[in-house]
Amino acid sequence: MGTSVQVTPLCGVYNENPLSYLVSIDGFNFLIDCGWNDHFDPSLLQPLSRVASKIDAVLLSHSDTMHLGALPYAMKQFGLSAPIYATEPVYRLGLLTMYDHYLSSKQVSEFDLFTLDDIDSAFQNVTRLTYSQNCHLSGKGEGIVIAPHVAGHLLGGTVWKITKDGEDVIYAVDFNHRKERHLNGTVLESFVRPAVLITDAYNALSNQPSRRQRDQEFVDAILNTLRGNGNVLLPVDTAGRVLELLLILEQYWEQNHLTYPIFFLTYISSSTVDYVKSFLEWMSDSIAKSFEHTRDNAFLLKHVTLLINKNELENAPEGPKIVLASMASLEVGFSHDIFVEWAADSRNLVLFTERGQFGTRARMLQSDPPPKAVKVTLSKRVPLVGEELAAYEEEQEQIKKEEALKATLVKEEETKAVIGTDIAKADPMIIDGHAQVDAVGVRGEAYRDVLIDGFVPPSASVAPMFPFCDNSSEWDDFGEVINPDDYVIKDEDMDMGSMPIVFQVGGDLDGKLDEGTASLMLDTTPSKVVSSELTVQVKCSLVYMDFEGRSDGRSIKSILAHVAPLKLVLVHGSAEATEHLKQHCLKHVCPHVYAPQIEETIDVTSDLCAYKVQLSEKLMSNVLFKKLGDYEIAWIDSEVEKTESGMLSSLPLSTTAPPHKSVLVGDLKMADFKQFLAGKGIQVEFAGGALRCGEYVTLRKVGDASQKGGAAAIQQIVIEGPLCEEYYKIREYLYSQFYSL
Amino acid sequence: MKMASTGPQQSSSSLKRRDSMVTRESDQLTITPLGAGSEVGRSCVFMTFKGKTVMFDCGIHPAFSGMAALPYFDEIDPSTIDVLLITHFHLDHAASLPYFLEKTTFKGRVFMTHATKAIYKLLLSDYVKVSKVSVEDMLFDEQDILRSMDKIEVIDFHQTLEVNGIRFWCYTAGHVLGAAMFMVDIAGVRVLYTGDYSREEDRHLRAAELPQFSPDICIIESTYGVQLHQPRHIREKRFTDVIHSTISQGGRVLIPAFALGRAQELLLILDEYWSNHPELHNVPIYYASPLAKRCMAVYQTYINAMNERIRTQFANSNPFDFKHISPLKSIEEFNDVGPSVVMASPGSLQSGLSRQLFDKWCGEKKNACVIPGYVVEGTLAKTIINEPKEVTLMNGLTAPLNIQVHYISFSAHADYAQTSTFLEELMPPNIILVHGEANEMGRLKQKLVTFFADRNTKIITPKNCQSVEMHFNSEKMAKTIGKLAERTPEEGESVSGLLVRKGFSYQIIAPDDLHVFSQLSTANVTQRITIPYSGAFGVIKHRLKQIYESVESSTDDESGVPTLRVHEQVTVKQDSENHLSLHWQADPISDMVSDSIVALVLNASREMPKVVVETEPVKDEAEEKKKVEKIVHALLVSLFGNVKYGEDGRLVISVDDNVAYLDKLNGEVESENEGLKERVKVAFRRIQTAVKPIPASAATA
Repeated sequence: MGTSVQVTPLCGVYNENPLSYLVSIDGFNFLIDCGWNDHFDPSLLQPLSRVASKIDAVLLSHSDTMHLGALPYAMKQFGLSAPIYATEPVYRLGLLTMYDHYLSSKQVSEFDLFTLDDIDSAFQNVTRLTYSQNCHLSGKGEGIVIAPHVAGHLLGGTVWKITKDGEDVIYAVDFNHRKERHLNGTVLESFVRPAVLITDAYNALSNQPSRRQRDQEFVDAILNTLRGNGNVLLPVDTAGRVLELLLILEQYWEQNHLTYPIFFLTYISSSTVDYVKSFLEWMSDSIAKSFEHTRDNAFLLKHVTLLINKNELENAPEGPKIVLASMASLEVGFSHDIFVEWAADSRNLVLFTERGQFGTRARMLQSDPPPKAVKVTLSKRVPLVGEELAAYEEEQEQIKKEEALKATLVKEEETKAVIGTDIAKADPMIIDGHAQVDAVGVRGEAYRDVLIDGFVPPSASVAPMFPFCDNSSEWDDFGEVINPDDYVIKDEDMDMGSMPIVFQVGGDLDGKLDEGTASLMLDTTPSKVVSSELTVQVKCSLVYMDFEGRSDGRSIKSILAHVAPLKLVLVHGSAEATEHLKQHCLKHVCPHVYAPQIEETIDVTSDLCAYKVQLSEKLMSNVLFKKLGDYEIAWIDSEVEKTESGMLSSLPLSTTAPPHKSVLVGDLKMADFKQFLAGKGIQVEFAGGALRCGEYVTLRKVGDASQKGGAAAIQQIVIEGPLCEEYYKIREYLYSQFYSL
Repeated sequence: MKMASTGPQQSSSSLKRRDSMVTRESDQLTITPLGAGSEVGRSCVFMTFKGKTVMFDCGIHPAFSGMAALPYFDEIDPSTIDVLLITHFHLDHAASLPYFLEKTTFKGRVFMTHATKAIYKLLLSDYVKVSKVSVEDMLFDEQDILRSMDKIEVIDFHQTLEVNGIRFWCYTAGHVLGAAMFMVDIAGVRVLYTGDYSREEDRHLRAAELPQFSPDICIIESTYGVQLHQPRHIREKRFTDVIHSTISQGGRVLIPAFALGRAQELLLILDEYWSNHPELHNVPIYYASPLAKRCMAVYQTYINAMNERIRTQFANSNPFDFKHISPLKSIEEFNDVGPSVVMASPGSLQSGLSRQLFDKWCGEKKNACVIPGYVVEGTLAKTIINEPKEVTLMNGLTAPLNIQVHYISFSAHADYAQTSTFLEELMPPNIILVHGEANEMGRLKQKLVTFFADRNTKIITPKNCQSVEMHFNSEKMAKTIGKLAERTPEEGESVSGLLVRKGFSYQIIAPDDLHVFSQLSTANVTQRITIPYSGAFGVIKHRLKQIYESVESSTDDESGVPTLRVHEQVTVKQDSENHLSLHWQADPISDMVSDSIVALVLNASREMPKVVVETEPVKDEAEEKKKVEKIVHALLVSLFGNVKYGEDGRLVISVDDNVAYLDKLNGEVESENEGLKERVKVAFRRIQTAVKPIPASAATA
């Protein structure tokens, strides 16, 4: 029997929610993608939380939040600890995207779902692969080979191929077959007849204009606004599709010598572009080629100014400008702030380049007709002042004292364990501790009880139940050596530990974060978020153009028909699109199409029977192969024999081979055959679906020719005519199109 | 699917003579160095196995010029090569590529890594410019290089590609930026070609990786043979000490280095040293290579191919943006006053700026020349290492050699320690040494033989054009899938189906399943012809019955006209008064049956007026048998020539000196020659099938 394959969607089926799927192959559980939306709604992750602990490996396909946003949260909260596999750009740009999200959210709310440290530690375990690298899993996954392949949607975007025992499971969502400025098209079409294909129906109902036309409309819309003295805002993602937009603008500006300023504004824009510059291997052939010839890095942007904070934008000279700012959803980030400022001016243009996530402000503005006014929450992080500050500091002091006490207790225990004296000797210190922390004394007591009664940690252990023992204080004859400064209230002396937000620059940043960002993260001033609701009149023009870089409905269908999987699983896409694609595929692609609901496990184990047999030299020496494209084919009659090692081996028949019905192998295209006959000097024409050859003979193909994959894939050809020389001649030509076996 | 490899043999006969065999699938794997066989330079290794051909590297010999510098391309037919893999951009590994791509019949595909390709173009353009050879000796020009760029494809580290059934991927080799070791897998036999590699991490490069899978054959460089490198920090110290002491005595330091690759490492060392020694800041360091300047963009872009150290540094500032090193365009611009350090190419001191400076400085005792890497036999750099009393200058005059010559190797080639540990961990059963000077290679071979004494490891050191042949009897495994595999057959049962081969994988598929498991499709062709016939249908029926075993008559469901089904394959129908129609599924047997029916019908029309005489054909069994015997004999004669009737009723077939005895009754054959026995048996079986009438069951099988 074939390899057992089960698919369980955890999020993102029959709607446009983020993507997250559990695929288990012979009991080895892959979590493919781990997405979250821009609202960071924990309820979406419920199904994931239930299975997180039994996941054996995580595969990431793209670097945006929809595909990997929940990773830090899941690693922290759900105990997800499996190794992660991704391409280098997905890893790097994914990390940057998460930073940008965090920083944007933190700016306007008490965002506490995960911290920068959580992001860093989540991305620490990523194994980076290159395209077409066959990565052999070991241990539980022995025998499974995973390989990323070009998806074409985002830089480093991946179509995952998971192979076991020669059967392929392919996960391909958000692929793009079109070649773009910075990306090659997907290689999905090169996979033929995989056992299972998991793909999305997101774009099943959409159609795209040609790229040339769309690009022209894009720059026209922008230029019209700029010439009308308006500003253009492009709400973009952090490090994904924005790269393509930057290149379009850069190239157009270069060719037409335009001088309108272009700004790329995210918290991490300059690191993004720096890293992107070193990812040329992952980009399109034309970019690689131009680099090889001229050594001009396409992402050495001459017309785009990279900004990492909004003040710089405000300092920019007056006049029309283009700003590409994150987030694309307009929920948070610079794009949101700029939108609020610019929306009321009818000269301005907000140009959406991707469909907004469901339920976001961007989506609302893309509706037809667009709303006249939108409610926005204007939030700002302001430093604490006056009473608030005092109260906050007092609280911090308390916390600090408590920590000091805990440390004292720990220390005391350690001392006790080491020197083996009795507790009484340590009493003065404990009392000292009490004196310091009357307010939190209860908790202190509790800890002390635990420590004193019954449990003596081994001297070598580092206080197993207290993770914070690093606060080692010095001791002298009078107890803990204190720093009097700690007890003096000073604004500027607040250290890292006393901040409401513990910011730390992760090692992975490689110091690449921009100064502004760093200053934001290291901002030690206690601050709070002040929000005010207001309604913004939307007077500016709103335009949506599809620069999502996904294949459109028609291409998806033709690609699926070409790939012709034995079983097809549809995920991610509105209910309508999913149903539409399902019906289409049932008719034209394969008879096994599944569109499971959330947490519904479907079994897509192939019902394929297979056994291996050794081909003996004796048999092979008598086989004459015929070559057909990549394939070579022959008819064999063999006798099975068991070898000593229990292997099946096939030998030539000892008796006369039984006659078999001959097989004609080949694919007859009527149009090609017509050409061929014409070349042979025979008059041919199509008449009523049949090919009229010469005067009398007709050739027809019967049966549904469009059906692929199904049982009807055997072509039925009828040749008719009166008995004449021509008939035999044409039959001869027809036979020449096939191999008879 | 392991294979027994029989003893490798070396033969020096030309490969061309075996061209006919190349196309035939064989179990013989042949590896022939066309260059770098027991020498250093012009790396080029040619390999064929199972009709697939791979060539590794395509370099030139730096000590020669023009055609003489090429590998021995005339030994092979370039048009047979499927894949050409270039390990790194150095001239002795890549410089004959434009020639090979543009001026030979080569039509395969070429692969190298991204960084290699970017530098390859710059390097070769430079090479064309600086080589001072006459126009007719030029192997290629700038245009050839540009055209070759379009043909070169790129491969990333670890990326697995498949071309024409040859699977290959590459590992980091550590030697220079973009250097790769290629692993090639043909039908399960793996060959690793290391190119130049180094297992030591340095300032900017990673160490060579250890491949995950052990290869069956490892073609490995042996540049440094049994030598051992000094530890890196000692070498660096010697290097900086020599330079420091020379310039403090007012001398000049010449470092002849190849423009790219190791030079970048040395510059990193110098720049760092100068930063740490402010007292040296007034001594200029020149880097006389516009080429290296042009390559900087490449070094800045492919940081992902370098080690963690440089990537961390890159985060802060570009380490390749040297603070104490200035570029030098030509000797005319060079203001030679006081001490200075000049790094100039080429490293061989054969020509160019390094030679010009050498000629200028070689007479002065306080000057120093530091040779920082491997030098090829036959070049001036190699000559001066042995410190002769005099040297010949470029202008042909001789001059005393007073300059201090220091040889401190920084070339990132593996030394004996690295080679032996690498091979020990890899454990290849066959090792082929290339890219090493003959004596050095011989010593390495001896030492490795002792090292691997307890294993059955074969170590071979072929010379140029000397082929190494090995046999790999790989067993072919096929996967039976689909309907055919619904039940695993028992011993002795027969299995019939389509054997489909793609690359080196085999599948056995039922004809109906073909389209499911491959991109091939099958077709049924229905034929229908009409024949004028105005006679009675019964006549036809009667005649058919005389010929065919099975003639069933019925009536057509739709039109109600009588039909005949002949031989269960061809349906004859009386369409109208004047026409008969025949229809059947195309098949060799059915076609034949239909032809005979057509002939019969036409005959019947012509003989219409005649009254059919019912005469049972006289069946004479004995006569029939005799006839069959005669035919069998005649056919055997046509196949084997000498066929006689033996005394015991058996046929005696003699071919050359081999004799086979055939028993006509049961088809038993006796012969001492297995091959002949088998052939006679098959022939007899086929003849018997041919002389017998077609069984009615043929169509239903």
